[in-house]
Amino acid sequence: MQFLKDIKYSLHVAMHPFDGFWDLKYENKGKLRVAVLMLFAVTVTMILKRQFAGYVVNFNFPLDLNSIDELKYIVLPFLLWCIANWSLTTLMDGEGKFTEIVIATGYAMLPLILVNIPNILLSNVITLRESSFYYLLDTLALLWFIWLLFIGTMTVHQYTVTKTITTMLLTLLVIGVIIFLGLLFFSLIQQIVSFAYTVYQELSLRG
Amino acid sequence: MEALGLKIKSLLLILAAVLLFAGLSPSAAQASPYEGYTYNYWGQAVKSPIAFLPSRAITGQEAGTGAWNAPTDIFISDEGLVYVLDSGNGRIVVLNSQWETVQEIKGFNNNGKEDGFKNPEGIFVTKKGQIYVADTENRRVVELNRDGSFVRELGAPKADVISESFEYFPRKVIVDKAGRIYVVGRGVYEGLIEFDIDGRFTGFMGTNRVQFDPIDLFWKTVATKEQREKLIRFIPLEFNNADVDEDGFIYTTTMDKSTLSAVKKLNPSGIDVLSMNADIPPIGDLSINRSSFIDIDVVDSGVYRALDSTRGRIFTYNEDGNLLYVIGQLGNQLGTFKNPVAVESYGDAIYVLDRDLGRITEFKATQFGSLVNHANQLYSSGKHDEAARLWQEVLRLDANYEMAYVGIGKSLLRQGEYKDAMTYLKLGNDREYYSKALGKYRREYMREYFGMYMTGVIALLVLIFGIRRFARSRKGGRVQDAVS
Repeated sequence: MQFLKDIKYSLHVAMHPFDGFWDLKYENKGKLRVAVLMLFAVTVTMILKRQFAGYVVNFNFPLDLNSIDELKYIVLPFLLWCIANWSLTTLMDGEGKFTEIVIATGYAMLPLILVNIPNILLSNVITLRESSFYYLLDTLALLWFIWLLFIGTMTVHQYTVTKTITTMLLTLLVIGVIIFLGLLFFSLIQQIVSFAYTVYQELSLRG
Repeated sequence: MEALGLKIKSLLLILAAVLLFAGLSPSAAQASPYEGYTYNYWGQAVKSPIAFLPSRAITGQEAGTGAWNAPTDIFISDEGLVYVLDSGNGRIVVLNSQWETVQEIKGFNNNGKEDGFKNPEGIFVTKKGQIYVADTENRRVVELNRDGSFVRELGAPKADVISESFEYFPRKVIVDKAGRIYVVGRGVYEGLIEFDIDGRFTGFMGTNRVQFDPIDLFWKTVATKEQREKLIRFIPLEFNNADVDEDGFIYTTTMDKSTLSAVKKLNPSGIDVLSMNADIPPIGDLSINRSSFIDIDVVDSGVYRALDSTRGRIFTYNEDGNLLYVIGQLGNQLGTFKNPVAVESYGDAIYVLDRDLGRITEFKATQFGSLVNHANQLYSSGKHDEAARLWQEVLRLDANYEMAYVGIGKSLLRQGEYKDAMTYLKLGNDREYYSKALGKYRREYMREYFGMYMTGVIALLVLIFGIRRFARSRKGGRVQDAVS
């Protein structure tokens, strides 16, 4: 029953974001497990979309489809966003805690599920001429998500509108920096490992 | 004793069965020097049966004329005569369909003096038998009668639009039904050189447009003057060969490996009208080292073959630009080439001239090849139902042949079998017609089941309404109870 209540509440957040996100933060109505579930549900939705979207709008090469790839396209960006946003807002007087950021971002993703599931069903019965409806709904889902994310960020950190927009754009930049550092880190680790291996090889061959 | 007999009996039976199977299994396919393939919707090369196999080849010695020295072009006339342009020896050798030499034109009488060819590169024979030769190093086009007697010569075009430094080297020549003469010139970027029936220069046609590239423009604006001069100059594509079809459309090829319009179909006013309905334009191999087409041959009903010099392959496309099959390869066997320069078709055969070997190779259609040819012919003339039967046969030989699925799908669509049509069109990756079939199927489905669904929806609404009413009345009763 509690679970149903949580789901109902997440719908309330999607419909009344100002009110919803406020309660999420100050009335402790947001649940981390709901946010994680939401992330999982979005991933599943995207997998379904790739596989089962109608042939008319589905240009995926079937042999290239890989569900594990969705981790790369959804889970990784989600985590990167949360980490980057948290790192940035702690420096920029944001009031949000890391958990709150995760919860807000998770709840904001609900439209992606709400719109995409019916959209997948719809795409199977539309013709090429009607395919613009599909793309329209697709875009609407994205805009709705960005809108919720915007309100969520604003409420969680208690920012003004302009500050929220700058923060969100800067977050994207920080994501880029994190990716760059990550690649650099892995590349260096690789070099160190290969160096250690070479030293070991040298020693073992001489000894 | 009886057990032993049974054992022997069963052994014999098994032996018989094995022998029967061995006999039934298809005999090894005829060894071919190359592999057959096409490209699927996703641009992957997919193996496919071989459409044409080499049947015979002939060199100059075998034709009894002495070795052909760097022959550059062949032409096959409507009656099946093979005109070989033996450039190195400056002569034309004419073979009949049994490949016996029937004529040899070594020179001609040009208004009283003996004249000949000097490294000619192109030959064309009109329906009436008039022979046109692009006499490259002599900088002229020569017209001869069927018997080899001289008619006229066309020199360099003269007009104000042509600069003084213009060097005229005619490489290929074609003549359309109206008698207009089109010449492909070496180093001519303006297009085909067009002469009217009397041999007067009328202009260039089918100019390849320079492609605009915003990235190049960006680099040009930021580059310094010295850098800019070092950049490759923007020049239009140069045609390297041409052919003309029954309706007067001119097909051209270009050597350029970066263009997506390696093949053009020019209408009489010089506009490219090549149909590109296919998802992949006719550019040959989809590889980093692209094909470079050096000859084109129009067969019929819009089918054309382009000869690729990069890998020595012949790509056959239908009028929509779908790749039908690929044959040939560079190599040393019969059916492969060293330096293929010209391709021609006659009947159910393809002829390829190899310049370095001085040899013509004939390819005959296999069962698969002639099925595809025939099916495609019916298909492009709109006889979808007859074509569908042949496409079924094609599918039996090659289950990956996407065009066959599309052909069958379209036929089913016309017959009103919308659901099956959807299946086939999906297999053939034709979204446009799939969508049409889906629309028709959807309407049919709704017409049949609309009543049923509507009844269900109404029943459901009534049910929900009833339950709510019932619940409310009970609740109301309880409230009343509480008050009382």
